[in-house]
Amino acid sequence: MSFREKSAWVSFVTILAVFIPFFWNSYRQFQGAISGREAVGTAFTLLAAFVILEILLHVGLAIRAPKEARSPRDEREQLIDMRATRVAFYVLLVGAMASVGLVHVTSRAWVIQQVVLLAVVVAELVRFGGQILLFRRDA
Amino acid sequence: MACPILNRIRDLRAATGDMTQQALADRIGVTRQTVNAIELGKYSPSLEVAFRIARVFDTPIDSVFQFDERA
Repeated sequence: MSFREKSAWVSFVTILAVFIPFFWNSYRQFQGAISGREAVGTAFTLLAAFVILEILLHVGLAIRAPKEARSPRDEREQLIDMRATRVAFYVLLVGAMASVGLVHVTSRAWVIQQVVLLAVVVAELVRFGGQILLFRRDA
Repeated sequence: MACPILNRIRDLRAATGDMTQQALADRIGVTRQTVNAIELGKYSPSLEVAFRIARVFDTPIDSVFQFDERA
């Protein structure tokens, strides 16, 4: 497995590991099961964990394969990145349009904010998932 | 999806002192996985990479790559 594919796996799994609890936390706040203060604290903790995990895991990958980590993406890796990003863009577009439509359903800015964030997270999952699929297809 | 370009890279590597995929990848500036994908017909390299491969084996490019007329 190449460094870029391992990097895509790290990002994909980290996003799932952090943002499933993140949105569960948001849902509980929406339902009134937890207070706003508690929800915000949990959210910031999860976001910090996401950043730290991404950095640590990618540094770990780079330490294990320093030459690959320093090398720029080759033409096939660039093509895989572009194809996956193109699909993810359309997912993000749909999410953005859904957020715009939501304005007519609710006036709660917090809800719209969560939907926008969900769109970004899903688009990133599609991007990294797409990269993984394309890497595996060629293996 | 298989690409319509056939190649003899695996045979040429074997004929060149059993050159590894990694060694070829290092010489042409791509990853080993890309070399593998090219050999398996799962990826068509750019003209630049194709010429680099031909130069490594010191052979004309159309001796390395052939268009599959059946495709």
